[in-house]
Amino acid sequence: MSIALRGISKQFGEFAAVKNIDLDVPTGALIALLGPSGCGKTTLLRIIAGLETPDEGQVLFDGRDATLWPIRDRKVGFVFQHYALFRHMSVFENVAFGLKVKPRRERPAAAEIRNKVNSLLELVQLEWSGDRYPAQLSGGQRQRVALARALAVAPDVLLLDEPFGALDSQVRHELRRWLRRLHDELHFTSIFVTHDQQEAIEVADTIAVLNRGRIEQSGVPSEVYDLPTSAFVHRFLGQVNELPVQVRGGRAYVGPIDISSTAAVAGGATGHIALIRPHEIEIGPEAAGWPAIVTAVRVIGPIVRLELCAEGQPVNEPLEAEISRERFEGERFGAGQRVGLRFRRWQVYPTGGAAA
Amino acid sequence: MAAAELRRPAGRAEPGRLLLIAVALTFLVLFLVLPLLAVFVQALTKGISAYWAAVSNPIAWAAVKLTLTVAAIAVPFNLVFGVAAAWAIAKFEFRGKSTLITLIDLPFAVSPVIAGLIFILLFGAHGWFGGFLRVHHIRVVFAVPGIVLATIFVTFPFIARELIPVMQAQGKDDEETALSLGATGWQTFWRVTLPNIRWGLMYGVLLCNARAMGEFGAVSVVSGHIRGMTNTMPLQVEILYNEYNYAAAFAVASLLALLALLTLAGKSFLEWRQPELRHAARQARDRTRRENT
Repeated sequence: MSIALRGISKQFGEFAAVKNIDLDVPTGALIALLGPSGCGKTTLLRIIAGLETPDEGQVLFDGRDATLWPIRDRKVGFVFQHYALFRHMSVFENVAFGLKVKPRRERPAAAEIRNKVNSLLELVQLEWSGDRYPAQLSGGQRQRVALARALAVAPDVLLLDEPFGALDSQVRHELRRWLRRLHDELHFTSIFVTHDQQEAIEVADTIAVLNRGRIEQSGVPSEVYDLPTSAFVHRFLGQVNELPVQVRGGRAYVGPIDISSTAAVAGGATGHIALIRPHEIEIGPEAAGWPAIVTAVRVIGPIVRLELCAEGQPVNEPLEAEISRERFEGERFGAGQRVGLRFRRWQVYPTGGAAA
Repeated sequence: MAAAELRRPAGRAEPGRLLLIAVALTFLVLFLVLPLLAVFVQALTKGISAYWAAVSNPIAWAAVKLTLTVAAIAVPFNLVFGVAAAWAIAKFEFRGKSTLITLIDLPFAVSPVIAGLIFILLFGAHGWFGGFLRVHHIRVVFAVPGIVLATIFVTFPFIARELIPVMQAQGKDDEETALSLGATGWQTFWRVTLPNIRWGLMYGVLLCNARAMGEFGAVSVVSGHIRGMTNTMPLQVEILYNEYNYAAAFAVASLLALLALLTLAGKSFLEWRQPELRHAARQARDRTRRENT
């Protein structure tokens, strides 16, 4: 089922949670709503689910206006961050719940329910857990039960609110890959909310980045990551170095480096900043770039992070650069070493307006 | 015996702990156990047959029946109200919510005598609705309806107060999940909400019941003290006592105390069963862990 949002706004008292949001989710898509806490992403998800009613705008399901449909008519599966398993029911009863509450004429026979639940538990690799209670399961297992329970009623749309937020990173990583596989096998439309950019990039086909109740940018993950349209998105999707842009004689500079080729500062506009990701900084001999001193080296598995104090920069705001482990093994940068910096890529934004 | 048991796990003397326990136990004996014993001792001073005569007296029986009837009406009423109020407060946002919470607490704040007087003012012969009631031959004050009303008023907050924190702590996730799975509001209540609040609800009912049976002040004002008609057990005890009929007074009092003890026993039984369930879950968990390793 395709979902479309048209001009959705929602206020909570004085606080505008979402403002005039348009979004299209085609059938079968897996889309991430990404943003910091309080950006409105959960409110938006709850509006799609029917758990909140928007003040303005329309929710369209397959082109039909579903704005005022009650939640139980929407055929959405909703998965909460804290699982919301019914603690007084066994795992089997939890998964069977959606089938057992169907009106008598639609309700499958007991044997059919049993088969369905067992196959769902198999799908989430918990076939042994039917007569356990939620309190006896780990976080990752509970979340898989919650997913099986949501899938039991064959929803057209799966909505997940920070589904992996309460899990430790190992389990989280596994569940992400598993969710992606499940989505590809079962072909439902999925929308999930997260504040974790890596999770969004790893799992989703499309990312919509939200900030202060608005969608700042949406697109495929690589596009949003590589071509952010605002400083906010640039900052939110990964580590960045922020450096002031100086305009001298009609050309733009960061330190001594000329960045005029991409910076539209011909009008002499001051008050711009350049955002450069750690892996976009190139480190060479001192003479070949912006002179800097290595102040710290940290090896993080396959990458090595260097802290650099560039000439003319405040000492307490070192730049961060990342190089590969192989390169580090070859060149052996150490603290105190003098190097020269160049930038492979950068983006320039005005300092006003786009502040996060 | 208690002291010996206490010393064993500690391994060495802990004067502070022992002192605290001694103080608590002394107070308990002085102010609870002794008076309770005194009730039963006094009731039996003139022998079993006198006790039996006092207890099987038709007027005493009428008081017992009235007390149980009033509790049987007031408790279900407050059960429905308490669940509805706690549900509204815990699961919805609306204007005047804090006012509602304050209002629910009102019976705790107001003296029971005043609570009784309110009903005299409303339904008494010279009250607001007095004329209307006289014309239609309905008796409220100095009759059973008045006693029920006063009891409901006084026991109003018990169940709601017990449930509100429980329901607030549980949030709305479970209910929203049930709705998204296609359950109706009614199914959600019976299958999800009620099982989640059952312990709090039972506590609330027990407390409400204890107070409904024991209420004196408010009921005294509206009852009219008609023997065998509008006297509840606490009122009957007072009347007998004022007539210097100590043995009979204490006999009825002992029945009331017995009902209270039954209520407490019920509460302890629930408390005893709940850890039992938790214990079972823990055992099962340990078993899982053993199997996995």
